[in-house]
Amino acid sequence: MEDIKYVFDVKKDDFVRAGETSSKVKKILRELGIDSSIIRKISIAAYEAEMNIVIHSTGGQIVLEITPGVIRITANDRGPGIADVELAMKEGYSTATDRVREMGFGAGMGLPNMKRCSDRLYVTSSEGTGTHIVIEVDLKAGEQGE
Amino acid sequence: MNKMKEKYFHSVVLDADRCVGCTSCLKVCPTEAIRLKEGKACIIGEKCIDCGECIRICPNHAKNAVTDSKEILKNYKYTIAIPSLVLYGQFRGNVGINEMLTAVKKIGFDEIFEASVGTEIITNVIKNHILRNPEKKRPIINSSCPAALRLIQIRFPELLPNIADIETPVEIAARLAKAEAVRRTGFSMEEIGVIYISPCTARMTSVKHPIGIKKSYIDGVLSMKDVYGMMLRNLGSNTEDLTRSTKESLLWPIIGGQGEPLGIKNYLAVDGIHEVIKILEEIEMDKLEGLEFFEGMACVGGCVGGPLTIENPFIARRRMKTLAKGLPDSNPSDEEIKGQIEMYKSGFIRLTEAIEPKAVMRLDDDICKSIKKMEKIKEMLKDLPGIDCGVCGAPTCKAFAEDIVKGENRNAVCIVKTMKSFNKEKPQS
Repeated sequence: MEDIKYVFDVKKDDFVRAGETSSKVKKILRELGIDSSIIRKISIAAYEAEMNIVIHSTGGQIVLEITPGVIRITANDRGPGIADVELAMKEGYSTATDRVREMGFGAGMGLPNMKRCSDRLYVTSSEGTGTHIVIEVDLKAGEQGE
Repeated sequence: MNKMKEKYFHSVVLDADRCVGCTSCLKVCPTEAIRLKEGKACIIGEKCIDCGECIRICPNHAKNAVTDSKEILKNYKYTIAIPSLVLYGQFRGNVGINEMLTAVKKIGFDEIFEASVGTEIITNVIKNHILRNPEKKRPIINSSCPAALRLIQIRFPELLPNIADIETPVEIAARLAKAEAVRRTGFSMEEIGVIYISPCTARMTSVKHPIGIKKSYIDGVLSMKDVYGMMLRNLGSNTEDLTRSTKESLLWPIIGGQGEPLGIKNYLAVDGIHEVIKILEEIEMDKLEGLEFFEGMACVGGCVGGPLTIENPFIARRRMKTLAKGLPDSNPSDEEIKGQIEMYKSGFIRLTEAIEPKAVMRLDDDICKSIKKMEKIKEMLKDLPGIDCGVCGAPTCKAFAEDIVKGENRNAVCIVKTMKSFNKEKPQS
């Protein structure tokens, strides 16, 4: 089976490099010839996942996996984890500090945007263990984004 | 080679005798459309967007633009010049607009028609009609920069629906000029030649291969560089009263000149192709919420920075701003605006043809094959030095690997890698 995997490290609080991973993801998908509406969805979702790691976690990784049927973004961080995942899924809910909000981040749209831009979203998290997010978008013909 | 030329006409061409293979142009090309082949910087037709970055950077002037020559005037019974407004910024000293236009006319034109007629109309139609359509995707993106349009086709196809579907100032001016001349002179459309005096390489390409319209009404394009010298000799005598430009219309081709007169807060004007790319990335990712209008211009300063201009863009801009001060304000009546919107609705000045995406960045049409190729590239990159020196003929190590996997540029060799393995093989002494 043809599939391909890329692993990117994401550092905590590195706002200068923030967004680089999702740009790389986008570039790879474009070269693969993925439909542009799907590229847009995946790169928005990857950006949100990347920013979550930068803003909220102590660092982590973004993994991009591509198979002929599905594109998968996995975001793993090393903590501190989300206390209430259901609450975090609500639009506008955020634990970001005022400082981060001033910079235009932490609007509480991260997880809701990931959900909007994916066919399947799995979030597992608990305080102390870190957060594990899987975003999947199908590549089947005819199933193209908004 | 000739077949290639027909399929992908580009105004930007290589003068192989002058090219020394220095790699300067490889590095600045925003679409990685140049490769050194046998030591010469060849353009990959399908990737080139005619932005002219390579013309600007080449220290040996080996990159140039194909434009028409003055001889083209002989093909027509009646000729009309439409000089780009940027021309007004090219002359130092106290040269007035009428003096410049008279000098253009003396080259051998029967009539001068100003591009400012077009800029006025575009501002009025976008402000009073297109911006009022809530269905139109935001931000609305200017259609005026042909290099930016081609960039969007290649790299940002998701943003194609955002493009304002209105013609460019020159094209609008050409249509009006021709229609008026037919009425006034009695000559037919074919007997009247509309010649654009261009600061822009990409516009030249758009005249031959229009984007968004079936056929251009411009019959020829002269390079501003060529016209400059001819004008210089004609300046200064028997100045005719030719200009009808207004303040706003003259400032239109300078960066910000399109967004500012729309009277909205949320517009963003960005110049320089590499900066335009960065902002389009942000727009594509929905990161610029609330943005109403995006003005992206490939050249620094806007059209004043065009590759076929003579004057430095900052000096030209200063000069145009000074000239604009002496011009009247644009005060279109409701009736005029209404008429212009009707012209737009009727399709006369509208982009009536779909602007199609061009997937030239993909490795293969079949995604399974693409993935295989991508895997190979990934493997090769582990082995390549990653210093993007360009000596192999590709702008980056990654582009080198891509070319090999795609089966292009077969003779390319990584000299850094060869040297390393050579050093390893050397006996230690």
